[in-house]
This record gives sequence, C-alpha cells and structure tokens, in this order.
Amino acid sequence: MATYFIRRLLLMIPTFLGSTILVFTILQLAPGGPLEQTIMQLQMGGMTGGAEGGGSSVNAMGGSVLPESALKELKRFYGFDKPIYQRYLIWLGIWPREIKHRDFLISVNESQVEKRVGKRDGHIWRVDVSVDEKGALTVTEKDGSASPVWHASIDETEEDGTRKAVIFQQEFSGILTGNLGKSYTYAKPVTEVMAPRFKVSLFFGLIGYFLSYLVCIPLGIKKALKHGSSFDFVSSVVIFVAYSIPGWALGGVLLVLFGGGTFWDIFPLGGFHAPMEVWETMSFWEKIVNQAHHAVLPVIAWSITSFATLTVLMKNSLLENLSQDYIRTAFAKGLSEKRVVWIHAMRNSIIPIASGIGYIIAVVISGSYFIERVFNIDGFGRMAYQAILDRDYPITLGFLVIVVLIRLAANILSDLALATTDPRIRFK
Amino acid sequence: MSKQKQNTEHVSISINRRRWLKFKGLKRGYYSFVTLLTLYGISFLLPVLINSKALVVQYEGEYFFPAILELMPGMASYYPGQQFGQDVPGEANYRHLQKEWESGTDNWVIMPVYPYNPYEDITTEGNKMYEAPSRKHWLGTDNTGRDVFARLFYAFNISISFALILTFVNYVLGISIGGAMGFFGGKVDLFAQRIIEIWSSLPMLFVIIIMSSIIRPSFFLLIFIYTMVNWIFLTYYMRAEFYREKAKDYVSAAISMGQRNRTIIFKHILPNSLVPVITYFPFSVVGGISMLVGLDYLGFGLPPPTPSWGQMLDVGLQNVSKWWMVFSPVVAQFLTLLAIVFIGEGVREAFDPKVYSRLR
Repeated sequence: MATYFIRRLLLMIPTFLGSTILVFTILQLAPGGPLEQTIMQLQMGGMTGGAEGGGSSVNAMGGSVLPESALKELKRFYGFDKPIYQRYLIWLGIWPREIKHRDFLISVNESQVEKRVGKRDGHIWRVDVSVDEKGALTVTEKDGSASPVWHASIDETEEDGTRKAVIFQQEFSGILTGNLGKSYTYAKPVTEVMAPRFKVSLFFGLIGYFLSYLVCIPLGIKKALKHGSSFDFVSSVVIFVAYSIPGWALGGVLLVLFGGGTFWDIFPLGGFHAPMEVWETMSFWEKIVNQAHHAVLPVIAWSITSFATLTVLMKNSLLENLSQDYIRTAFAKGLSEKRVVWIHAMRNSIIPIASGIGYIIAVVISGSYFIERVFNIDGFGRMAYQAILDRDYPITLGFLVIVVLIRLAANILSDLALATTDPRIRFK
Repeated sequence: MSKQKQNTEHVSISINRRRWLKFKGLKRGYYSFVTLLTLYGISFLLPVLINSKALVVQYEGEYFFPAILELMPGMASYYPGQQFGQDVPGEANYRHLQKEWESGTDNWVIMPVYPYNPYEDITTEGNKMYEAPSRKHWLGTDNTGRDVFARLFYAFNISISFALILTFVNYVLGISIGGAMGFFGGKVDLFAQRIIEIWSSLPMLFVIIIMSSIIRPSFFLLIFIYTMVNWIFLTYYMRAEFYREKAKDYVSAAISMGQRNRTIIFKHILPNSLVPVITYFPFSVVGGISMLVGLDYLGFGLPPPTPSWGQMLDVGLQNVSKWWMVFSPVVAQFLTLLAIVFIGEGVREAFDPKVYSRLR
C-alpha cells in the first residue's frame, strides 16, 4: 500500500509538468497576449496624445510606432525575448532568470568598457566588461576577479560595428522556488493577490460543503429506508428540480427575488461583506451578522450544486447494500433493524461518499466562477476569470498551478479515504 | 407491473424492443421524450412561427412569402420597404404594413403567430429597451430592445442542437479512444492513460475559457474546444467495458476463429459494451446545455448576437430589477433540463434496471 501511494506521489510530477507545459504553451503562443495588448495600448495612447497636441510629430508619422528600444524593453519585461522552452524553464525556476538589465554600447575598436551597475555599500559600483575575439563578454570587478553576480552578453551588432550589449544578474526563481511571479494588472506578487481571495472562496466552499453533507446524507438515508413511499417521491421531485437548475442560476433567481430589485429586499445584492468603509466601523458582533447576512444566498447556491448527486448517491448506495446477502444474514440472526441498518449497511454505503472527498476538496478550493460572479464576490475563481480577460498570465498560470496541485493531491486523498473506509480494497 | 409480466412471457422479443417497451411504460420519461422531441422538431420551423417577416404578403396582385423563404436555405427572403410602397430605409417593416393596410386597400399581410424576430433591436421602429412583459412582448425586451420571448425559443433550438452535436462528437471520440485502450491494452493503454491523467488534472472550464478567450469561437469551434477537453469522461467507461468484455469467452472464441480485430471490436464487443454509455447519454446532453449556458453567461460562449439563455441571464443579473431577463431563461433552461433528466431516468430504468429488494 505504501509503495502504491509513493508511486502515485511520484507520478504527480510528470502529470504536473505535462499539464503546465500544455497551458503554458497555449498561453504563450496565443495571439493578443499581454505584449500585444500593451503595445496596442501604448500606440493608442500615443495616438490620442498626438491628437490632443494638435499636429505634433506623432500625427505626422501617421499613427505612432513604438521605438525599437521600447519594444525590446517590453519584450524583455514580459519575457518574450527568449525561446518558449527557455521561458517555461525560467517560469519553473530551473533556468536562470535575467534581472536588473542595463543596456550599453561597445564601439568597434573597444575591447573593454567600464560600466556603472548601481550602488554597493554606499559607493558607486563599477565593473569592467571585456570582449574576446569570439564576441563573448566577461565581467570583472575592479579588483580584477570575475564578477560573481554580473553577466553580460551582446544583443546585436549594428552595421558600423557598434555592439549593443546588456549586463544583467541571474537568478533562479520560479514556481519551484515558490515564486509565482508578479501580476501585470495588480502590480503585486501573485501570491499576495491570491491569498485574500483564496480565503473568501474557502469560506463559501467549506460552509457549502458541510451544509450539503449535513442535509444530503440523512436525506439519502431516509429516502433509502422509505424507498417507494410518498416521502421518497416528494423528495425525489425536489432532487430533480435541484439537478435541473445549476446552482448559480438558482442563485440568480434568489438574487432577483430577495435582493431588493422588484420583489423583496431581504438580502444584500452581493459582495463578501459590507463595503470596506462601513465594515471597518462595525463592532465584532455586527461583523458576524453582516457576514452571515451576505453569505446566505451564495451558500444556498453553493450547496444546491452538489445536493442532488450526493443525495442520490447516498440513497442508491444504501439501497444496494440493503439488498445484499449479508444483510439477510444479519436479519436472520435476529439483529434489530436499527443495528443492521446503522452498523452493517451504513459502513459499506458510506464508501462511495468517502471516495468523492477528493473531488469535493478540489471543487471547494478552486471556487466557483459562476457563483462568485453572480454574487459579485471577489473570490479565487473570479480572480482567475478576470485574469484571463486581462491576459494576466502570471495569475492565470499561478491559479492553474494551485488548482492542478490540489486536484492531484485530492485524487490521492480520495484513494486514501477509500482505502481506510473499505478494508477490502488493496492498492497495488 | 403487468407490463413486466407481459415481457417475461414473450421471451422471443428482442432485447432492444423490450427496452423500448419498458421505456414507453415509464410515463414520466416517455412523455418528456415525446414533448421534447416535438418541441425540438417544431423549433426548426421557428422562422414561420416567430418572425418579424410576414408569412404572406399580397401587394397589388402579387404574392410574396418572406418568412417561408427564410426557412429554405439559400433563398433570398429580403425585400426592401420600397417594394411594398413603404417609406423606410432597408427592409420592409411588415408589422407596420399590416396596420397600414388594415382598411382601404386590397393589399394584405399575414404575420407569423408571434411577429418579432430575435435580432431586431431598438434600431427597428417601435422597439424599446427593457420593456416589461406585456401583450405585445410576452416576456419583455432586453437591453437592446430585442424580444425576449423570440430569443428564448431560438436559443432553445440552438442549445439543444449544440448539446446533441457536442455529445455525439464526444461519444465518437471517447468510445473509439476508450475502446482502443481497453482492447489493445499494453503500451497503447499506458500511453493514453498518461495523456488522460494530464488532461483530467486540468480544470476543464478554465481551459475552455482560456481557449475561448483566444479564439472567439463560432458554433462548431466551441464544440471542438469543448470536445478537446471533455472526451476523457467516456474513455473511463469504455476502457473498463472493453477490458471486461475482452476477457469473456465469446471474444476468445471469435479470436480463435481467426476473426479480424475490426470484426471483433465492432460486431462483438461494441454492442455489448454500450449500455453504460447509452444510459449516460441524456445526462451528457444536460451537461452540454448547462455548459453552454454557463459559457454564454461568462461571455465566452457563442458570439453575439446569437440568441442564448446565458447571455440573457448575464444581462438580467446586471440589472436585478429586470426580473423577466432572469426568470425567462432560468425557467426555460430548467424545464428543458428537467425533461431531459426524466428521459435519462427512463432510459436508465429501461437499459439497466436495478431491482432493490428489501429483505425484511
């Protein structure tokens, strides 16, 4: 068993790489990426600026064109100056990332250039860059030793022989080192953007999940025990209804009914809690009430999503077990119905529910784009959705990494739950 | 109960016939099936039922059939207003013509039952934004003045067609790949399983959204994207079924008789392994419709101005006071899905009956 789980854990690695390579490639090769969008924005900006200036040089050029150097700088910022496989490895953190770029020129007859690279210990830091015959650059400190941090390379050679060079530091930093990058839109590290939103989604996920279990398992049991009764029939109707309407759409209906549009004004229109200005003036108790008030409708929408499947799963599983031979034996021994159902049948019936635990965890954590959008909650799912719209690749990829990891872990957890609840199962 | 008894008496009846009879006996599923099939059939005739173009125009002795022409692909159904002596730019406004010609002329117009089409917005004279439901617009109008009732029905046709085609394509792909994995086993299986594992670790909806955001999808492109992500579900079933069936004696017999792989797969194993996927079919359709509504709601679905329930919901949820924009699509979607779920329940009952006996 232990070897099985170790193997599963190891298999996570190729799966993780495979899925991230896939999405990374799609994103990087996609037209209209962040680079194109920024270029477009800048050009549009240039154009309107030119129009306001009234016949400035920008207009004369017939629509502004970004200067070569700016384009290069942008490409470098978004990492598009490297081939795609390098970009992926840099993103993973096993290929050096070039940081603190500084451009400089080396004229034809120069073989050594002095370059200022910032400050160190309060003094201006200068290094020497020398060129050998092959065109390779070496950086040496002022004391003559090779520089431990600075590297340099030639970008391109112009017609007159002047070489454009760049000096930079290298750093291994990617998802393997816990660096998910910096968001383009929020201008903050991705982890900082994610953390608060993750909590919000977790809040709804956990409550919705416990609530649906709390309702579905007893309901499923009761339905199984009263199979064919009018209670079974009526609750089946409810289940069909719940299955035929997506949770978020029901949420929308609830919002229209109770959100104070045309009908009743009972619950707020959305948001995680009251706006920040109001929220901060509230006492602790008021905060709890306010939070709960805001949470009612989303939590209902959340719970309804898995309500039907869970209940039916529980019912069928118990029904199936109740018609097994070992139940007949238990009854024949003269055990009470209570004991047979709750001790004998239940233990086996809960297995399929337990094995679904991994899936549920994955769902809970990745949040719901839909419910968060309907109720205007700034959660994890909505952040990812917005990131796709904004072409904010670091967030998109960061979200993907977290979700994929959680899913993979959740699968294993499912197996583990299955193995603990069902002693017959032997993983090999 | 009597039906069941009858079935056991006629042992010679074929299994599919028996399933059909069983399905027919389950009233809820059967009536849902008949109703939905009829409605779906009728929805292909929508241009003559719900349309702003007239069914028949009689103008100075000549007859025109714009709505009926629209029904036939490749026929021009466009008549400029001037043709009927109407002083409007562009296409004739048949509703106005009908009013104008009510008295004093020999000309006449017969309009479809519901004289609005799903695309005419405020640019058509007389349409207003966010009109509440009334005798004129049964379910009101949307943010651009388009008639909600008309759009609802056109969207019904599109949603069902979308889900059916989608499920079919998914099935073909999933069954062939899953079947091949189960039948050939070994390296094919191992390789395909790795790919499936990668694929299934991705959040599906997220990938669809990414792809839709890159390529603005058309109807078939969206089906393609969705299929790319969704085919794996069936491979699980099919792989297991093929493994199970392959180990059975009749397959060994077929192999020992020297039958070709193709014959064994298509003639022997496939018909025997289809039951779980068939019973799953209606639920796949439910999934397809829900997904389309969801994607349309997020704005990554079919391109506007395609009539769509999800797009209506989006508009409605941005203006919660416009309740008809939310209720109409939700109720439409709900009734459609409910009917399909009932069908699915019947199909499952007919194909894979589970008899629960209480031993007490």
